[in-house]
Amino acid sequence: MDTLIGQGRTAIGLICDPDSFVENTVGAKSFDDPSFGPGAVVGTAKLDGKTVTVIANDADAFNEKFPVVYAGIIGMEEGYKMAQAVYASIEADKAESKANKRALVLVVDTPGNGPGKVEEIFGMNKATGAYQLALAEARLAGHPIVAMVIGRAISGAFLCHGLQADHILSLDSKFGTMIHVMPLTSISRIVKKDIEILEKLAEGNPVFAAGPRFFSKLGGVEEIVTEIDGMRDAVIRHVAAVRAAKVAGTDGETTGPWGRGALGAERAGRAVRPEVIALLQSELAQVASRYLPGAN
Amino acid sequence: MSKWSTLLSRSFLESNARERALGLVDDGTFTELVGPFDRRTSPHLETLGEAVEFDDGIVTGIGKIGKTPVFVISQEGRFIGGAVGEVGGAKMVGTIKAAIDFADRIAKDYPNATDEEKPIVAISFETGGVRLHEANAGLLAHAEVMDQLQKARHKVPVIALIGSKVGCFGGMGFVAAATDVIVMSEFGRLGLTGPEVIEQEMGKDEFDSADRALVYRTTGGRHKYVMGDCNFLVEDTIAAFRAQLAELAKLPREKFEELRRIGSEVLVAKQLKGVALAAEMQPKDSRDVWVHAGNPDPVSLALAPVADFRAQAKRLAL
Repeated sequence: MDTLIGQGRTAIGLICDPDSFVENTVGAKSFDDPSFGPGAVVGTAKLDGKTVTVIANDADAFNEKFPVVYAGIIGMEEGYKMAQAVYASIEADKAESKANKRALVLVVDTPGNGPGKVEEIFGMNKATGAYQLALAEARLAGHPIVAMVIGRAISGAFLCHGLQADHILSLDSKFGTMIHVMPLTSISRIVKKDIEILEKLAEGNPVFAAGPRFFSKLGGVEEIVTEIDGMRDAVIRHVAAVRAAKVAGTDGETTGPWGRGALGAERAGRAVRPEVIALLQSELAQVASRYLPGAN
Repeated sequence: MSKWSTLLSRSFLESNARERALGLVDDGTFTELVGPFDRRTSPHLETLGEAVEFDDGIVTGIGKIGKTPVFVISQEGRFIGGAVGEVGGAKMVGTIKAAIDFADRIAKDYPNATDEEKPIVAISFETGGVRLHEANAGLLAHAEVMDQLQKARHKVPVIALIGSKVGCFGGMGFVAAATDVIVMSEFGRLGLTGPEVIEQEMGKDEFDSADRALVYRTTGGRHKYVMGDCNFLVEDTIAAFRAQLAELAKLPREKFEELRRIGSEVLVAKQLKGVALAAEMQPKDSRDVWVHAGNPDPVSLALAPVADFRAQAKRLAL
């Protein structure tokens, strides 16, 4: 197997316990209409014996109602369906402690969000926003969320499905995985710089180059998984590490988008970010008294 | 820089990011944080040999409206279209986080503080999303902003103001959707995919990005008001945006959840009724939806002065 692009369901089988995936049921919620959000695969599986919610993309599905949705694109129905799977997970475990809340495994292979006129008239931005807020809520409520990039993790679709996770893993680019906003060829055209120059610059500065390796340097990917049969162990390991952080209460600083900021500084890819945030905090501290209750 | 009183009557659309920030809050109360004197420019633009700005195209700071501390984020479309890079993204993330920390401090040290004395965040969007010169860092900053928006919920209201030239698109389109309240002028535009990209995807027959009227009909403030995607539609002046902000600052904090369009299972179910309607109608134009919402003469309605429009327009009931 030299790539998993377009094979979300195969990847679910490789990551989760054998034959444990039950599609279209999460907690008390069932998704009974097969024509609803077919580009999104949601369901429940076991991972190392424990219940997990799985959310993935289906690259073979075509949404008859919204023809811009195919090849793993996340359309309006798909975004809301994914959000519903997250809310159903929160609801199912709301009485559970952080040690027992089910993990969410995001299997990522999506090239974009629905780019159509109907989508803009009705607000595609709300569907992707809704899913991200749901993931952030689940993460902050104590559910470990691990994203596994198996194929395409492109721009806004990756923001939507992946970047709100506690930890993000990616298959090595030798399996064709793509993580980027735009390929370097397009960036070269837009910023009017020769691709050779950009490639050379990218060696020292990962901010505009495409691929898991560069995202890893920026702290945007926690770990690159070098073999397909290593995915399962890696996901199990990261779910355990994230859960331990949540139980210990250290997840706020070490996982999720904020934790990846710290990782980006540690790996030297995003060195300026923490300086700017610290400067903002220190400048605010000097004037804060003027804005506190009772101040004039 | 104009005097504060003269800023108020200015067009929000025509103003720059700093004028908007200054005019939104009370005279003399704005303190810019990580302002141009700090010269925190983008190291990545420099690497590429591109021009930089001392504020990286975004104004962040704190001011007051009456008794309310207002954390302001104001994007500048005149610098690379307001696109978000590492520095600008960090200023945005840092400001929302600072507002949350400030609210926590007030809750701890001033247990008798009224809601009016607790902070709010106002974001004037003017952006197409990620800055391609530093795309990866910009993308990661977007995810951080979303995370902060969820952390701010039930604690610090975040209010989106959209009335700038560039509008609010790309990743910032869903950041805006995820705020508590959206205030637009008729010139504001909100969406995910910009008109040029839709044309590229669907063909010019389906969507002509050069057709300004079509573009505004699809993503403009009036349409978003009819759809319920923006909560308030105001005149194109800094004063009008400021007045709406001042009114919101007085609102009991628990009321903000009621203004949200997304952010809960119940709201997702409601939005899905809209998606079902979209599937059923397959509208060729936003005006089809206006008619469905109960506006039999959308053409006249679209031309009515904003105050009349607000009085007459029927909003889509889901």
